[in-house]
Amino acid sequence: MPVLVLRIPILALLLTLILATPSVAGTKLTHEYDLKAAFMFHFAQFVEWPREALPEKTTPFTIGILGEDPFGKSLDEIVANEEVDGHKLLVRRFQHVNQTDSCQILFISPSEGSRLDQILTHLNRRSILTVGDTKDFALRSGIIGFVISDKRLRLAVNLAAANAAGLTISSKLLRQSQIVGPARVQE
Amino acid sequence: MKAPRTTIRRKLVTAMMLTSTTVLLLVGAVFVAHDVVSFRRLLVQALITRANILAANSTAALAFRNPEDAGQILAALKTDPRMIAAALYDQKGRLFATYPASVPPGTVPPASGPIGHRFEKSDLVVSQPVAEEGQSLGTLYLKSDLKELDDRLRVDAMVVLLAVLGSIVVAFAFSTWLQRRIAQPILTLANVARNVSEHKDYSLRAKGAGDDEVGVLAGAFDEMLSEIQQRDKEIRQLNVDLERRVNARTAELEGANKELEAFSYSVSHDLRAPLRHIDGFVELLAKHAGPSLDEKGRRHLATISTAAQRMGALIDDLLVFSRMGRSEMRKTSVDLAALTEEVVQELKADAGNRCVEWKLGKLPTVQGDPSMLRLVLVNLLANALKYSGPKEAARIEVEAQSQNGELIVSVRDNGVGFDPTYSHKLFGVFQRLHGSDEFEGTGIGLANVRRIVSRHGGRTWADGTINEGATFYFSLPK
Repeated sequence: MPVLVLRIPILALLLTLILATPSVAGTKLTHEYDLKAAFMFHFAQFVEWPREALPEKTTPFTIGILGEDPFGKSLDEIVANEEVDGHKLLVRRFQHVNQTDSCQILFISPSEGSRLDQILTHLNRRSILTVGDTKDFALRSGIIGFVISDKRLRLAVNLAAANAAGLTISSKLLRQSQIVGPARVQE
Repeated sequence: MKAPRTTIRRKLVTAMMLTSTTVLLLVGAVFVAHDVVSFRRLLVQALITRANILAANSTAALAFRNPEDAGQILAALKTDPRMIAAALYDQKGRLFATYPASVPPGTVPPASGPIGHRFEKSDLVVSQPVAEEGQSLGTLYLKSDLKELDDRLRVDAMVVLLAVLGSIVVAFAFSTWLQRRIAQPILTLANVARNVSEHKDYSLRAKGAGDDEVGVLAGAFDEMLSEIQQRDKEIRQLNVDLERRVNARTAELEGANKELEAFSYSVSHDLRAPLRHIDGFVELLAKHAGPSLDEKGRRHLATISTAAQRMGALIDDLLVFSRMGRSEMRKTSVDLAALTEEVVQELKADAGNRCVEWKLGKLPTVQGDPSMLRLVLVNLLANALKYSGPKEAARIEVEAQSQNGELIVSVRDNGVGFDPTYSHKLFGVFQRLHGSDEFEGTGIGLANVRRIVSRHGGRTWADGTINEGATFYFSLPK
């Protein structure tokens, strides 16, 4: 029962968060990850992957979570029975970055914060949309980072990183986002 | 043939104007209806297109929960005054963003409705899905007013009205020109017909009436006129012939009559001399041999004498009668009243002690020959006196009255009268209805009356009943 084992620290984390920020209700946090889960799902519609990333229709479109899973069931619920461009959606959880090659979207859990640069370097130039909510995630060459501002969930996008990964991010998504990193995309 | 009350021109123009105006209005109505329908379709299409663009633009705002951005996207609608309201609903149908940013309640539905378009009162409403890459993200609601449609309708109506008005003017000009072409030959024909019937001038012709049915009619009419003219000419010719022949015959007859009169005058005149000899010598014989003759011989001599005298009277009358036909008339004013009075006085002397009541009505003055008219009155009054002889109390009336432009004088008696069957014979020479042994006379009197009256241009007639009296009339033209 590794999942159950994993859950306990999350609960502990949640509890500490509630205690640390009394103005933000506990439900608000679960809500935050529900929202992040929904955003993660919608990235699939607003980002274009190169053809080689999903050569066959039978290959599932995989959303991976690296490290501890903060979403609980919400991501699985959102993704259930959904498809992206004809590919079945699949949520997988990983402990090590070496296992994440089949992913199209990879959420790098805050639990991996200390190893983030390492992980990102490892994923460099792979067609994987890296998403995270670690502080300055996008600035540190993650592609899309979740940012909370004005009590709203916002996005920070590193276009250079996206470009390096061969991903095309829809201008509509960019309109909702804050662009960080080098101003001009470098080939 | 009077002028017709409504002219064919007006009828033609009215018919053409009615037809063209009706057709124009119908076409105009169809045009407006079609235009409105297609314009509505266009409005719907335009609104759907706009909704689709907005929906495509607002996918990310919906996906990534950015109502401010959604509001900004919707706010672009403010450049179009037709847009009343807009709203975005999320995937669960909850209101996400609106245009204007704060809408009065009821302007947009609180939750998303069915996809599609519909007309609501004066608005057009469209609901379109918002989706990215096949992933449904929510619903867009757009509400536009239909002022444009109203304006379009107004403009259409104005265009149709102007077109109809313009066309009516053109149609009027055109139909006036057309009706002239159609009506002119008919009017010409009608004019000719009217002139023919008014002036009986059959030399008129209605030619040049065109090559259509009216032309055929005019041709037939002209042919009829020619025929009538021809017959008219023939009839005139016949009349002239006839008149000439009558004149010739009349002249012949007059000649023969004159000859006959001259003959009878000379015969009568020549008969008188031997008769006078007979009478004279009978008288001499009676003087000379009378005493030596016996009673019977003397009576024979008396009979010869009487017969000779009667024959003399007869010849005298015939001479008068023949003179009446030949002698010249001297027409002057004749006072009939005075003349009648004079004649009556003379006759009264002859009547002796007979009881006769004379009644003379009011008689006028006429134009005529006095001596001839005197003879007429003498004859008629003497006849009346003679034939009322057997009556104990005789009554003779003379009257005059005007009738149909002539003067009619009547002489009425209560004498023996006559059988009206023979009244036509009364005025003939030697015609007598009574024997000379009953009433003396030569039978020339009434013949003389008729001759004199007819020479004055009048007529004579009589009516009567046996034993109840007779009335003799003569007329004189005024």
